[in-house]
Amino acid sequence: MLKSKKIVLVGHFGVGKSSLIRRYVQNVFSDDYFVTVGVHIVKKVVQVNNQELTLLIWDIEGKEDMKKLRPSFLLGTSGFIYVLDASRPSTYEILEDELDFIRTNYPKTELVTVANKIDLVDKESFIATLGEKAPWITHFSSAKTGECVELLFEKLAHTLVQ
Amino acid sequence: MTDTEKLLQLKNLLLDEDRELAQKILQKLDELQHTIDTKPELAEKVNPIIDDKLKVFTEEIPGKLGPTIALALEEQIKNSQEQVVNILFPIIGKMIKKYIASEIKALSDSINAQINKTFSFKRYTVKIKSFFTGFGQTEVMISEMAKSKVVQVYIVEKGSGLLLGSFSKQNTIDEDMLAGMLTAIKSFGEDAVQTGDQSLELIEYEFYKIYLKNFHTYYVAMVISGIFDDVFKNKLEDDLFRFAKKQINPNIQNKAVLNTQLAHFFKDA
Repeated sequence: MLKSKKIVLVGHFGVGKSSLIRRYVQNVFSDDYFVTVGVHIVKKVVQVNNQELTLLIWDIEGKEDMKKLRPSFLLGTSGFIYVLDASRPSTYEILEDELDFIRTNYPKTELVTVANKIDLVDKESFIATLGEKAPWITHFSSAKTGECVELLFEKLAHTLVQ
Repeated sequence: MTDTEKLLQLKNLLLDEDRELAQKILQKLDELQHTIDTKPELAEKVNPIIDDKLKVFTEEIPGKLGPTIALALEEQIKNSQEQVVNILFPIIGKMIKKYIASEIKALSDSINAQINKTFSFKRYTVKIKSFFTGFGQTEVMISEMAKSKVVQVYIVEKGSGLLLGSFSKQNTIDEDMLAGMLTAIKSFGEDAVQTGDQSLELIEYEFYKIYLKNFHTYYVAMVISGIFDDVFKNKLEDDLFRFAKKQINPNIQNKAVLNTQLAHFFKDA
């Protein structure tokens, strides 16, 4: 039977949430920046353990504070992808608070954290500057080069069907 | 012959021809004067020339004067819009009225033709309905044509916006994405207006409506064409409650079964 899961990408504005989705669903990238207003929903059907899984990916507008997000857009989410911009420290300064907020309010929802735009920084130096925050980040991606993008969504999809 | 006679003869010989010519010229002048003074005769001569000139002029107007006239008209309309509207309004109104009347007549004729041609059970039902309601058979047929119809049905999980089941009588965009966006619109509207526990119930377009009925864990969105009045709404709600109890609740996790049941239940709705 065909299963469906809702995935929501959250994070500050301009961290590359829409670009990650475009790279994953359409395999394209553009340097032009378009602000997401409200929400944009895309769909991708993937094979997980020889079964079809429909991913409904909600690309919601970026906010500097998770608490300001519209709660109704987050209801019924199976997996969150928290996106930060590796080249902009302001996008992960309050990472701990943001992740705590998600874990507290959506305890049954899967959560992965991804540092995007990794092509713009030196990965080793970036991890070093993260200090104690480093273990919270599970993926390092680049929507521009495509690095780690498919893996990010596929790993989450596998987790969701378990 | 005397000298005088000889002179006269010579004079006649020399001047007779001139005199004759002068006489003829005078006669022609008289005729010309007569033609000018007599309107029918003048018209007979001049009209073909004027007609020819007019013909050429008429042919050349669009090319030579068209742009100038158009510019002048445009300027005039711009400067005196109210007057133009006042003048045109009754004319356009009449034209529209006439057009609608003729279209309705055409529709009526086509229905009449259909009634006459079709020797069917439906003809008798229309006849019976017409007899009891007092309306003509054509009116009954028109009301039948404007009847509400359920065109698409979506059962959507609340919150997540995931599609639990669907049925459509026509091709549509991706149903999963439609369910998601519909949920986002619904949530956004409900959040934005902040009117307590109230939910979005109807999205109205020109020729169809999306009626949303909330249940505990899911909602049903129905795309309806035709006239959506309270009578139809009440009937639809009754049908929906019956369907929810019998089919949705027991099969909520089984999309394939729900799709089959929806198609069976709503195919004639």
